[in-house]
Amino acid sequence: MPDSLLTVAVRHRVGAVALDVSFRLTQPWTVLFGPSGSGKTTLLRAIAGFVRPDAGRINSASEAWFDALANIFVPPHRRAVRSAGQIARLFPHMSVSRNIMYGLGWNSKPHDAREISEQVMDSFGLRQLADRMPRELSGGESQRASVARALVSAITFDAPGTPLLLLDEPLAGLDVAMRDQMVAELKRWTERWRIPVLSVTHALSEAFLLEAEVVKIADGKVAQQGPVAEVLAEERSQLLKQLRG
Amino acid sequence: MDSEALWLTLRLAASTTAILLIIALPLAWWIASGHSVIRALAQAVVALPLVLPPTVLGYYLLIAMGPMTAPGRILMRIFGHPLAFSFAGLLIGSVLYSLPFAVQPLVAGFRAVDRGYVEAAAGLGVRPFAVFLSVVLPLSRASLLTSAVLAFTHTVGEFGVVLMLGGNIPGATRTLSISLFDQVEEFNYRAANQTALLLLVFSMAALLLIYLLPTLRRMDGRQADIAG
Repeated sequence: MPDSLLTVAVRHRVGAVALDVSFRLTQPWTVLFGPSGSGKTTLLRAIAGFVRPDAGRINSASEAWFDALANIFVPPHRRAVRSAGQIARLFPHMSVSRNIMYGLGWNSKPHDAREISEQVMDSFGLRQLADRMPRELSGGESQRASVARALVSAITFDAPGTPLLLLDEPLAGLDVAMRDQMVAELKRWTERWRIPVLSVTHALSEAFLLEAEVVKIADGKVAQQGPVAEVLAEERSQLLKQLRG
Repeated sequence: MDSEALWLTLRLAASTTAILLIIALPLAWWIASGHSVIRALAQAVVALPLVLPPTVLGYYLLIAMGPMTAPGRILMRIFGHPLAFSFAGLLIGSVLYSLPFAVQPLVAGFRAVDRGYVEAAAGLGVRPFAVFLSVVLPLSRASLLTSAVLAFTHTVGEFGVVLMLGGNIPGATRTLSISLFDQVEEFNYRAANQTALLLLVFSMAALLLIYLLPTLRRMDGRQADIAG
């Protein structure tokens, strides 16, 4: 069995959602798939350290981030994780390029880090927006910048190992063609830098495009985990049936 | 015009503002970062000078800094003289007296900063102190200015605490507001007029700066939009 990048076993109740999940990340890209309100966002926030689960454990490959019994809770900024959420949250007082370089690591080689940021901006179509302020961007442009910011921060990670990139549908507002293009760019970057990704989606096409490992969440529980073709076969045939009318 | 008093007042107000910002920034951030009994208690203590007669504050400080209490005796040993009736003593009094004026605008400003930005920054691995400096402070800079201007002007305008704690020593503790009181007592209405007018104009200008700022900034933004 491949080494575990992340082991999650948590219980958490928030509002109407009662999470009770346990799974291991072993593949380079894993997708959390499930209907809205199934607790995917809460789960991602627990992994990032923004939510403290009621019970359970979250372990990275090398350390414990959360252990309710041992009273361990590593704060978000000290976890080897980089996040981009559903809302872009570009810092309103910084230009696009300053936003993208905000989480820059690699203090020892600033030249390389700058070059990486510029390449990432290029591949996300942000170069000509570099000097714009966030209030001058469209929703889709903001979202692209937000993903680029998390990616640059993950690539230039300044500690041993690579961080886990957590993406909570950060490209949900983009049209399908643009989203597929961005997802392909993202995949190229994360493969090249060997950055593992855990992303949330309820877009079937995205999951298939990524050829990702899928963790299917339903009613706060893990319904199934495995390769996309296996786990989402039923959803796929349903969709195809609908399309045929 | 008592230029010695003017100089002393400016020095006192500037030093008070500097010290207050150092104290108020972390204090306000802590108060704004949650709700708890101990935070409520801290807020009440900070707000006390708003409702307390200044003479009461001055009286307690006078006692606390004098030879009658243990802290007073320690302070006397450190400074070699009693802090009461000295500039240092006055400074301590001013800091306490103007504390709410520095803290409360900052608490309001910090509470208005969307926590989503703080979370986004933490999600990029940035330490909380760096997030505070690079995200929280710039997003609440209007409150920071309000806090500094209010702390400064309120110190310029203080009377009761100064009289109680500092007495009326030229060059050491006689501020403009005390000087005005002296001038009136001496029936020197010409000088009193000058002092009063100066304080009035200064206070008005400072307040105008605070209230005009949003308008100026909006005009700024509009011009940027046109240019963009």
